[in-house]
Amino acid sequence: MDKDFTPTIIGFLCNWCSYTGADLAGTARMHIPPSIRIIRVMCSGRIDPLFVLRTYLKGADGVMMMGCHPGDCHYQKGNYSTRRRYVMLDTILKTLGLDEKRIGLWWVSASEAPRYEKVTNEFTESIKKMGPNPVFKEIFI
Amino acid sequence: MAKALKINKNTEEGLLQLLEFLLDSEKVEGIFSLKKLNKNGNIAYSLITNKDELKGAVPLDPHMPVNAGKILSHFTLAEKTKRPVAAVLRPCELRAFVELIKRAQGSLENILLISLSCGGVFPIDTMNNGDAKKRSSSYAESLKKAENSPDVRKTCQSCDNFLPQLADMTVLTVGKKDADKECIIYLNTKQGENFAKDAPGNTISAEIESSETEKLKSKRKENKEKLFKDFEKTGNGISGFSRVFAACLGCHGCGEACPICYCTLCDFDSKTCEYKPESYESELEHKGGLKIPPGTLFYHLGRMSHMAVSCVACGMCSDVCPVNIPVADVFTKVGAALQDVFQYSPGKDIEEPVPSGTFKEEEFKEVGEH
Amino acid sequence: MNSTGKEKKEKTATGKILSVEGDLRKTIKGLLKKLLKNNTLDAVLVPMKAPETESYAWVLLEDETLLDAADPLPPVMTVQGGRALDSITKQGDVYLKIGALMRPCEIRAAVELYKLNQVKLEHIHLISIDCPGALPLKEYMDNPIKSKENFEKIVQKGDKNEALRPVCQICQHFSLLSSPSTEETKASSSPDTENHSAADLHIGFFGGNGKKLCLTASTSKGKDLLEKLELSQDDSLEYWKAAGEKIRQSALKNRESFNKEWQEKIGGIENFTTALDACINCHNCMRVCPVCYCQQCYFDSKILENSPETYLQRAQERGSLRFPLDTLLFHLGRMSHMVLSCVSCGACEDACPMSVPVSQIFSMVGDQTQKSFQYVPGTDRNVPLPLQSFLKDEFCEVEIPCECDQSLLGKA
Repeated sequence: MDKDFTPTIIGFLCNWCSYTGADLAGTARMHIPPSIRIIRVMCSGRIDPLFVLRTYLKGADGVMMMGCHPGDCHYQKGNYSTRRRYVMLDTILKTLGLDEKRIGLWWVSASEAPRYEKVTNEFTESIKKMGPNPVFKEIFI
Repeated sequence: MAKALKINKNTEEGLLQLLEFLLDSEKVEGIFSLKKLNKNGNIAYSLITNKDELKGAVPLDPHMPVNAGKILSHFTLAEKTKRPVAAVLRPCELRAFVELIKRAQGSLENILLISLSCGGVFPIDTMNNGDAKKRSSSYAESLKKAENSPDVRKTCQSCDNFLPQLADMTVLTVGKKDADKECIIYLNTKQGENFAKDAPGNTISAEIESSETEKLKSKRKENKEKLFKDFEKTGNGISGFSRVFAACLGCHGCGEACPICYCTLCDFDSKTCEYKPESYESELEHKGGLKIPPGTLFYHLGRMSHMAVSCVACGMCSDVCPVNIPVADVFTKVGAALQDVFQYSPGKDIEEPVPSGTFKEEEFKEVGEH
Repeated sequence: MNSTGKEKKEKTATGKILSVEGDLRKTIKGLLKKLLKNNTLDAVLVPMKAPETESYAWVLLEDETLLDAADPLPPVMTVQGGRALDSITKQGDVYLKIGALMRPCEIRAAVELYKLNQVKLEHIHLISIDCPGALPLKEYMDNPIKSKENFEKIVQKGDKNEALRPVCQICQHFSLLSSPSTEETKASSSPDTENHSAADLHIGFFGGNGKKLCLTASTSKGKDLLEKLELSQDDSLEYWKAAGEKIRQSALKNRESFNKEWQEKIGGIENFTTALDACINCHNCMRVCPVCYCQQCYFDSKILENSPETYLQRAQERGSLRFPLDTLLFHLGRMSHMVLSCVSCGACEDACPMSVPVSQIFSMVGDQTQKSFQYVPGTDRNVPLPLQSFLKDEFCEVEIPCECDQSLLGKA
């Protein structure tokens, strides 16, 4: 394993919870890994599975989807749809033996800066162990 | 015990007699059935309104030129039909039609659904080649013994969902030993019984499921598991998956033939999926090379995310692929996994919402909390 | 925008000669490698066999080591090259100098797409190559190893073999060295004899007996490439052209009998219907056609949808109505949209799951209609599409003269 490998992780963060949570983590000077690049969405329900697939196939080493805890959605029920979509994506990738572990869903609320720090660090570590996404070098995709 | 109509003719003739009766008695205005086109041996799904035209009808011919669910959806897309119409279709076609109705792409109203216990169909490209006759006699033999005919498509050989749900009438073919002499048509619904009233033949009571159908079901289940296992050997992981689809031309014929893919303009044919010039430049920079046109895996994975949960395993995608990619193997495998996770069986219940369009608050509680 | 076509060609036609070292394919790849190495090109578009499979695909590559796996003479045409080029430049010019090594019919398709404003050629160097033809895709996929052996024999002999696709057997544009364009198009009749060319550079090997290659440039871009290749040996093109001409003559003869045969086969509505009745309306032929570039095909749109009542009525008029509907309308309509630009590449037939002889029908109709407009698609970038231009005094014979015209004429 390449010790210096810094994964490229794309995070799709809900504006009302995890994005604010990430902001709070930043102002609190918590340690957030430099691997994560954040894309803000207005609700985790906005995360089209195609966004995730495209990110993965373009060679991102990991994709994090984050949203409000079930029941706390700013738009009432958007995150329930997210949950189904995630389960669907996970099942597809698992069935085909594609690295489903590179894609994850976490509920992180606006006040959970420590949880944000914890999950981003943990995920980065697990991706580091997996190594770079083989799709990145694949020509025939 | 279900009611059934017994006609003392061979199965195809018996069915044709019933169809003729339906037209004659003006219970229906037209009949959707496979029909011979000409001497070439080509057949097509046709809407038959004249009794004389029924002569060329081959409702039980083991070919599927187009998934009939797609045709019925096209027929009723603008509005429901005001005049009653009967349609003979295979169980997977019926499932496809139901899935399309759930997506507001058609209507069941005023359509009499006549289905059959299905022995499978031949690959589409054998429709007009010479030995069709020979094959169909061996096919009939296998049907009588409730065995898989070796000539039918791989997808059909591993389909354990060959008894129709939601059909008004079901023609018995699988395990029907005296198919040359007798035709049994089950009347599953009130509508079916109404339409068959006064039809020539005797009404008996019988059960469609038998030890014969069970036998075929378990055999096909076995085949299905084997098919999925075999795919794992070759198509697993990113390298395996890209190898399976390496020959893909990007013609999107699989999506066009798929009954569930109903969008007029597919997302993957739209501008959103075209590569920008700078994407080519950046991809070349880190890969050194790129397949053109790009996005093969994105298309197949994406299409999967759109429709696989409703995949009815009709096998049309494999049939139309010009480069013999086993598309249906992949999609039925993923479809089965998704249907298992969401406890959904496509085309079974018209009231049940499509999993991707609904949710329950009390499900998948463990997701997202780790 | 297009400065390339306006380059003047020298009076005496000469080409550069290169001897083949070892393998023909390797030598051709060596040329591309050289162009990548000395930065004349940033990337090349070539066919390549996908690893661990028997299938071919287009690969745009920057890394010259990847060229080792490329195959400039693949036995089949998977994706039409014009279409591949279209996908690269559809959203705008790619600022990489790309050399696209393609068969002449693919180059011609690219030129047609250029005229249709789909392909941008500003940074593209079109490199054509003598084409031995291609095998039917389905047959190749069923038995790749044997097909490949067969194909090697065809490459070596360089004649139009029966194993090739029907449209390849009658193709006269297999080499842009001896292309008939200059004799037959309107361009030739114009007083200006400058070469309106399709490709920038052509690589010929017919007539070289597998020992020699002949390179000719017809535009400034092509000349630049040729210069950077630093080939020293010049040769007159006469001999090479004669070699191509021989093959062309026999193809021309085949073409005539082919046209006649198909005219008979599909003449009359009944025969035409029969020829197409295996069609399942999957529109694969349209999807793979390089000239059919529309994002949303007219025949896929809502315009052909009707109410059940209408369908029932239509059925009652004839006793029965075949579904999917309007397959004839689709084929005839598509024909009216693109057949003047049909380059007879055969991609449609390759992609047809029902083996409907689409490419043969389209090629026959294309050949006839193009003749009446004296148009050879894709051979000349500067000749406008027939339906985008007109002359005031043409096709007068199709007008039915009426009496008042006659009297007017009489007065005049």
